[in-house]
Amino acid sequence: MTTIQVFDPAMCCSTGVCGPSIDPALPRFAADLEWLKSKGVQVERFNLAQDVGAFTGNPIVKATLNSQGTTCLPLILVGGVLVTQGEYPVREVLAGFAAVSYEPGPTITRVKEQSPSLVSLGGPSKIGRG
Amino acid sequence: MFTGKGGVGKTSIACATAVLLAERGKRVLLVSTDPASNLDEVLETRLGMQPTLVEKVKGLYAMNVDPEEAARQYRERVVGPYRELLPESAVKNIEEQLSGACTLEIAAFDEFAKLLGDAHATSDFDHVIFDTAPTGHTLRLLQLPAAWAGFIESNVGGTSCLGPLAGLQAQHELYDKTLQALSNTTTTTIFLVSRPEHSALAEAERTRNELDAIGLKNQNLILNGIFHAGVTDDSIATALEARGRQALAEMPLGLKRLSRTEVPLVPQALIGVGALRQLGNGRFDPGNEVLLTQPGENLPPPLAALIPDLISRGKGVIMTMGKGGVGKTTVAAALAMELASSGHSVHLTTTDPAAHLHLALRGDIPGLRVSRIDPIAETRAYTEEVMAESGRELDEKGRALLEEDLRSPCTEEIAVFRAFARCVDEGNQGFVVIDTAPTGHTLLLLDAAEAYHRDVARNLSYIPDSVRRLLPQLRDPNFTRIVIVTLPEATPVHEAARLQDDLTRAEIAPYAWVINQSFYATGTHDPVLAKRGILELRYIAEVRDKLAHRLALVPWQAESPVGAEGLQQLLAETVTK
Repeated sequence: MTTIQVFDPAMCCSTGVCGPSIDPALPRFAADLEWLKSKGVQVERFNLAQDVGAFTGNPIVKATLNSQGTTCLPLILVGGVLVTQGEYPVREVLAGFAAVSYEPGPTITRVKEQSPSLVSLGGPSKIGRG
Repeated sequence: MFTGKGGVGKTSIACATAVLLAERGKRVLLVSTDPASNLDEVLETRLGMQPTLVEKVKGLYAMNVDPEEAARQYRERVVGPYRELLPESAVKNIEEQLSGACTLEIAAFDEFAKLLGDAHATSDFDHVIFDTAPTGHTLRLLQLPAAWAGFIESNVGGTSCLGPLAGLQAQHELYDKTLQALSNTTTTTIFLVSRPEHSALAEAERTRNELDAIGLKNQNLILNGIFHAGVTDDSIATALEARGRQALAEMPLGLKRLSRTEVPLVPQALIGVGALRQLGNGRFDPGNEVLLTQPGENLPPPLAALIPDLISRGKGVIMTMGKGGVGKTTVAAALAMELASSGHSVHLTTTDPAAHLHLALRGDIPGLRVSRIDPIAETRAYTEEVMAESGRELDEKGRALLEEDLRSPCTEEIAVFRAFARCVDEGNQGFVVIDTAPTGHTLLLLDAAEAYHRDVARNLSYIPDSVRRLLPQLRDPNFTRIVIVTLPEATPVHEAARLQDDLTRAEIAPYAWVINQSFYATGTHDPVLAKRGILELRYIAEVRDKLAHRLALVPWQAESPVGAEGLQQLLAETVTK
């Protein structure tokens, strides 16, 4: 079984609801991880503000963090190998990492955004490259 | 446990009780959970987060639960062991994350819970006396065990927002015990402290109900500042006595049923162990000093003197700040009414959950819109907004996760903060007069403004413009004018001075000070009131000479300052002797 490890920057919580405004990438990513779990993938998630020991205890994470600083976060490791940094990949990419089948369904179809505050969030750099 | 509206004398009475018990041979621990505690000043002892022996009183220890310090200690516990192992940016990232209002609140509550729920922490003492924060905040603190406990039980996702206390599950037992200890009528006694005034009694009744609802049944009432006129020909003294008598006659039934203790209005500052001892024993040394009446010409101008400059700006934010019970709401209402009557559009609002703007105004005033930032309504609206916007593109599981996170106690802080930012932003269109919650809580709001400003600095584009502009607007003296309201007494003045320091640190310069409810300015010659008036001069001079750039003095009002006419009186020319 594949193990995916996510090392987040210091956050109040995994969906980011505690900030002055929500980064929509975060609740989306939290939902994607739940989806991976439902496919039998083992998911471990560490928050820098809450699980510092997990960061210093993993040699790859510790080295990357020390050489690049927090801009490298989030770091994602699959089977102990670093696969992406600095972004939250979309579900399709995550499915590829975990080698599980992925079919775009109606529930994750992006709704056309009306709110100007949301337009900027949909950009590829935030959501991750396909 | 002593609770009540700000300014009713909780701290003095809690301290006097502690001194009395200690002098009867008991070992007593006195704890303040007020973020703006003045226990140090009243006891004339430097206190910290650990029990400290109070000089001059054998067996009396005291401490402050300081949210800032509790949060700092919590941060150090998290970061300390890893300081050498992580790059500076990571350490800074963690520290920033653990600096928000949520961390402060929870860290302070954690300290409070330890004292109540952990028997070892207080086993050295016969009595633990809590001088709690002003009402609204106290209730939130007391309700937290239930809120958190329910939250932990219903939290099934595991990854959810437990806020900055990751190890919270481990605290569950402690929080349970805390609530148990609070509702045990053989070990916990609640003293509701009030003044013989309508608003303070109404607030005490509200507190009585809410405490009753969460199982804190063992309640008593303390009426502080009972006054009997010493002369018959003094209209101020007659009015004060009559107002007190009427307020007591109309006291809510729930309060009438409680066992009651009365404490007289005393003609002296309740600072130092000697004064506390006298208060506790009910024996006051009248003293034999001669009352020297100062000439009135050096008195500060009336509140109306602030109006022309305020009006000349045409728009912007006016924010009243200060300790609870000093009359922030009344001053805010009077300024708002005057600006509205000069033809400007004015929005008067409050962040104080215990404030009653509609009671101060009594009916509509043309051009004046009145609202309040209601934490429950704001939280509901924010939750709905987030579910609609961020929840829209999630699948069912994702929505469930998001919904769960939104039930976190942090959500209310965020929702209130955003509403506050929205109100401040309205100052771009017209006048916004904001009556803020008692000091400590307002400071948490400003801390949040600073913490979030760092997010703003990172230029995250999804932050609302009102939040992005908040701190710069609060710092702009041409946009925001902070009016610090105080009473001409030691504690309120010194607390307001600390507030001014805190604001200065946040690069916010107060605009003016208002000294409210001055007996000196009424010209009373009642022996007790005149003596209180003379005592005021020292504090009026201190504010005028050392603290304020602009200052107004408001006399104590024989008629309750409510409604358009009452508020007009507040602005009027000072009566001098």
